[in-house]
Amino acid sequence: MSGDRAVVGQNLRKVDGVKLVTGRPAFTDDIHLPGMLIGKILPSPHAHARIKRIDTGKARALPGVHAVLTYKDVPRVPHTTAGQAWPEPSPYDTYLLDNKVRFVGDRVAAVAAETRAIAEKALRLIEVEYEVLPAVLEIEQAMASGVAVIHDEPDSTKIFDREHNIAGYILREIGNVEEGFRASDLIFEREFRTGRQQHCPLEPHVAIAWLDADQRLVIRTSTQVPYHARRQVAMILQIPVSRVHVIKPRIGGGFGGKQEMLLEDITGALALATKRPVKIEFTREEEFYMARSRHPQILRMKMGVKRDGTIVASQLTVLATTGAYGSHSTTVQGNTGSKVLPLYRAEHMRFECHVVYTNTPVAGAFRGYGCPQGFFAQETLVDEIAEELGRDPVEFRRQNMIRLGDIDKLSAQLGEGKEGLPRHIRSCGLPECLDRAAAAVDWDGKRNAAGGPAHLKRGVGMAATMQGSGIAGVDWASAFLKMNEDGSFFLQVGAADVGAGADTVLAQIAAETLGVSLDKVVITSGDTDITPFDVGAYASSTTIISGGAVRKAAEKVRAHVLDMAAKMLDAPVDKLECGDNQVYTICECRKAVSMAELAMHAMYKEKTQIMDGASHFNTDSPPPFCVTFAEVEVDTETGKVRVLHLVTAVDPGTAINPMQAEGQVEGAVAQGLGYALIEELLLDGQGRPRNASFLDYKIFSAKDMPRLTTILVETDEPLGPFGAKSISEVPINGPAPAIANAIYHAVGIRLRKLPIRPEDVLRELREKLPTL
Amino acid sequence: MFDLVEAFHRPSSIREALRLLHAGGRRARIVAGGTDVVVRADPEIRSLVDITRLGLTYIKRSGGAWAIGATTTMAQIEHSAALRALAGGILVEAAKGCGSVQLRNMATLGGNLANASPAADTAAPLLVLDAQVVVAGERSRRTLALADFFLKPGETALGKALLVEILIPAPPRGARTAWSFQKLGRTESDISVVNAAAGLQVDGKGVCKWCRIALGAVAPVPLRARAAEALVTGRKLDGSLVEQAAAEAAREASPITDIRATAEYRREMCRVLVKRALAECAARAGCSL
Ligand SMILES: Cc1cc2nc3c(=O)[nH]c(=O)nc-3n(C[C@H](O)[C@H](O)[C@H](O)COP(=O)(O)OP(=O)(O)OC[C@H]3O[C@@H](n4cnc5c(N)ncnc54)[C@H](O)[C@@H]3O)c2cc1C
Repeated sequence: MSGDRAVVGQNLRKVDGVKLVTGRPAFTDDIHLPGMLIGKILPSPHAHARIKRIDTGKARALPGVHAVLTYKDVPRVPHTTAGQAWPEPSPYDTYLLDNKVRFVGDRVAAVAAETRAIAEKALRLIEVEYEVLPAVLEIEQAMASGVAVIHDEPDSTKIFDREHNIAGYILREIGNVEEGFRASDLIFEREFRTGRQQHCPLEPHVAIAWLDADQRLVIRTSTQVPYHARRQVAMILQIPVSRVHVIKPRIGGGFGGKQEMLLEDITGALALATKRPVKIEFTREEEFYMARSRHPQILRMKMGVKRDGTIVASQLTVLATTGAYGSHSTTVQGNTGSKVLPLYRAEHMRFECHVVYTNTPVAGAFRGYGCPQGFFAQETLVDEIAEELGRDPVEFRRQNMIRLGDIDKLSAQLGEGKEGLPRHIRSCGLPECLDRAAAAVDWDGKRNAAGGPAHLKRGVGMAATMQGSGIAGVDWASAFLKMNEDGSFFLQVGAADVGAGADTVLAQIAAETLGVSLDKVVITSGDTDITPFDVGAYASSTTIISGGAVRKAAEKVRAHVLDMAAKMLDAPVDKLECGDNQVYTICECRKAVSMAELAMHAMYKEKTQIMDGASHFNTDSPPPFCVTFAEVEVDTETGKVRVLHLVTAVDPGTAINPMQAEGQVEGAVAQGLGYALIEELLLDGQGRPRNASFLDYKIFSAKDMPRLTTILVETDEPLGPFGAKSISEVPINGPAPAIANAIYHAVGIRLRKLPIRPEDVLRELREKLPTL
Repeated sequence: MFDLVEAFHRPSSIREALRLLHAGGRRARIVAGGTDVVVRADPEIRSLVDITRLGLTYIKRSGGAWAIGATTTMAQIEHSAALRALAGGILVEAAKGCGSVQLRNMATLGGNLANASPAADTAAPLLVLDAQVVVAGERSRRTLALADFFLKPGETALGKALLVEILIPAPPRGARTAWSFQKLGRTESDISVVNAAAGLQVDGKGVCKWCRIALGAVAPVPLRARAAEALVTGRKLDGSLVEQAAAEAAREASPITDIRATAEYRREMCRVLVKRALAECAARAGCSL
């Protein structure tokens, strides 16, 4: 698609790459302000308790301590930490500090002191008397009558059924599944379980807050949502939005964990209390259990098919836990239905979900946003159905999958916590993804040749998945551009580059539209004082939504440039073209003016700043499509599963920067592999984390990665800038089901619980082959 | 992490190191590569005594025997061409499997042993090699068998002394001698869930004349599987003997359940790894099972 494009579609270097690899002070924690204090949060040692008495006298008296805050010292404003567009669909069930704690790690108090050592000592000096309450740790117990009510406070709102610990409930149906099952020849129903994965960003959550010379509260923070954070902090601290300035510097990975106002409020409160700059940075241990994680789910998936392979009805029933607070509770779980079921064109679909509170670490947004759980269930069940029908899994999917021109009606019922909008499929590279990925893994050859030496069995498996590109009718963004004397442009966007390369992609879109090289676009992003609004980096929205705003703003500016050139070249606008950093005529008499000459003329002769801005949103969320093929080797004596080759083919629409797009795929599958095989935050019987360190919680490192093949199948999406959709989330969904299916192909056992641990593989093998 | 540490010493002689260690009492700690000490960050520690400048970094060979200085790093062992010739390279294999490149550049052999983790990867191969450790106290030096060195998790027979050298007596050699090291971790750079090492020598008829089997992470200390060794020694090596010995080794283990694996899984993996180690040895010694 990029044949005649100079910038879009080119593998250009990340605009912020050099400063990152040379270690320039680019991240939140890279500054040190004079007089800066260190903040620490006292985490609850109990999963569920009421604070009967809290005495901060000794802590306050410790030399070097500047503030100790408890619930007595701060405003009580129910809110959600989820960084979502207003009005947030998540329950308002969280307080800056409260007299009740609801999970091990919940905030009890906060301290600001001269050094970390003093702050830690002060935490130990805070005397707390708890009334320990019975804790609800098991997801299946949460709704039972007689168990403790986690949110018994009267002032929280938007909780579905607090008496039964139900944060949210979803029920949507199209057609009539019962009728569908009656009309089916075969019905399959299975239960699946998924684990609590943590984002493990290289940079943990960190925020630095201070009062500027005008006494405005400035918060430099590691966030994906600077604008939401500003709005939330203003509400929680009860100060006007205009008195808050949020700065998002370079971010060391968010993966959804930073779509959350997590430290900004408390850091801001400490800065206001001390009138000194305050920094709070999570330790790795704190990041594991005090930040967010992926919602664990128990999924029941039921599908009815005709003998000819037509899927007639599909039904997914989910019990999920959001942990102690309802951040992203209904929206993540909504996706488990709305983005998963419509992949296959069943006439009847039903999705039901209870999202329950438990006294466990809080779940939140996480790359994939509910889809990894749903696709694990659906794609392993579909594999089983194909097997049962004697069909090749690829062909079975091909028969049933969504295609160009389809309208997904389930999305219309399941929006961001409310009614959504129907989803029209205007671009679809799924068939080509299947063809190319199957060829890359040698599907036909390997499906017929499973095996290997005695205890090492090989197999191949696959999964198909999709996602969205922005939240239809909700996500919106804006961009502003102005021209400089040298013919360069300043691009200001509220979009939040979290390391995924948004700044580069957005600058490429601007440069392409304006006909200038990438170095002529200087981008500033994610600063609420300087850049216009953007919802932030989530829902795979930045390229399509923020990029859409940039495209519009750049088109407006391009029109101003052409108007100016028309005067200078004495040629009609429709005979002018931008390119190669100049404006030229497209008629015979080839005349041209460089962007630099044009800018000088505009500024000093015409006394005009060439500038403009635009806002953008979509009423539809075009899905990127993805297929994942895995070749595995199962050690039948140890139960270890080694992935030998992982092939991912993605349809992202147009890849604005193919090299970056591939990088996003590779990063996503690294997390997807961990989710499939090793990653899980474990709790003990008291709700305390058991493996809150990288020594105990393992992720896929470079040495663990299998051979990767990444294929971009480009399509042209009418709703996206230059045809782009999205890419960063969708590839995380496939590894778990593809691996589970490959294990089945290798050794004939179905694993329905994530992560797939060697012990589970071994147990299943024993059950199947008792002689082993 | 070490906010309360008041002194970091870098002595240049063993005597000086020991003096500082004694002067610091309970709150002084030896640090070599620091990959265990720093990670644990024991808040009791007030002074650290760095022993990496004591001249204890070396790999020496005399005849068939070897002496390795306590502060020799895993990376130096991993890249030692000479050591690769020792016992089929099992010590090199074990060192290679420790953590990551960065870790192996810091981590020392002495630290791996003195740390007394039951999972220490170099312990099993060294037990199989009948290694001894040389321990320097303020007044005297003594040499003890590695098998007697480990007391319980985190505890050795060292006391307030310095582990200075690891001695490896000349192991059995010849075409019918073979060795194997096996490690099972959750990822490529993980502490062992279970590790195992074996060495054996057979005669021309395939009868086992000498056998050593050691296991890691399955008991309070790295373990010699003596009953399994006894079972194999003096008998003709075949598939069923290997199975029996592996099962015996699993019985000798007393594993625990922790974050990495359950006790039952560990016990089962003892069997699998010992079986694999013996089978690999047998194959290398030219026996067909
Ligand atoms: C990420 C990570 C991965 C790891 N992976 C592995 C692995 O795969 N396999 C494995 O076996 N280990 C592993 N370890 C543990 C560790 O790296 C090893 O045990 C290492 O060999 C320790 O050596 P060191 O020199 O760093 O010891 P240090 O941390 O310096 O010391 C360890 C202990 O021994 C004492 N000590 C050190 N030297 C002496 C001496 N000469 N005399 C007396 N006492 C002494 C110290 O006081 C301390 O108590 C890993 C550690 C980390 C952090």
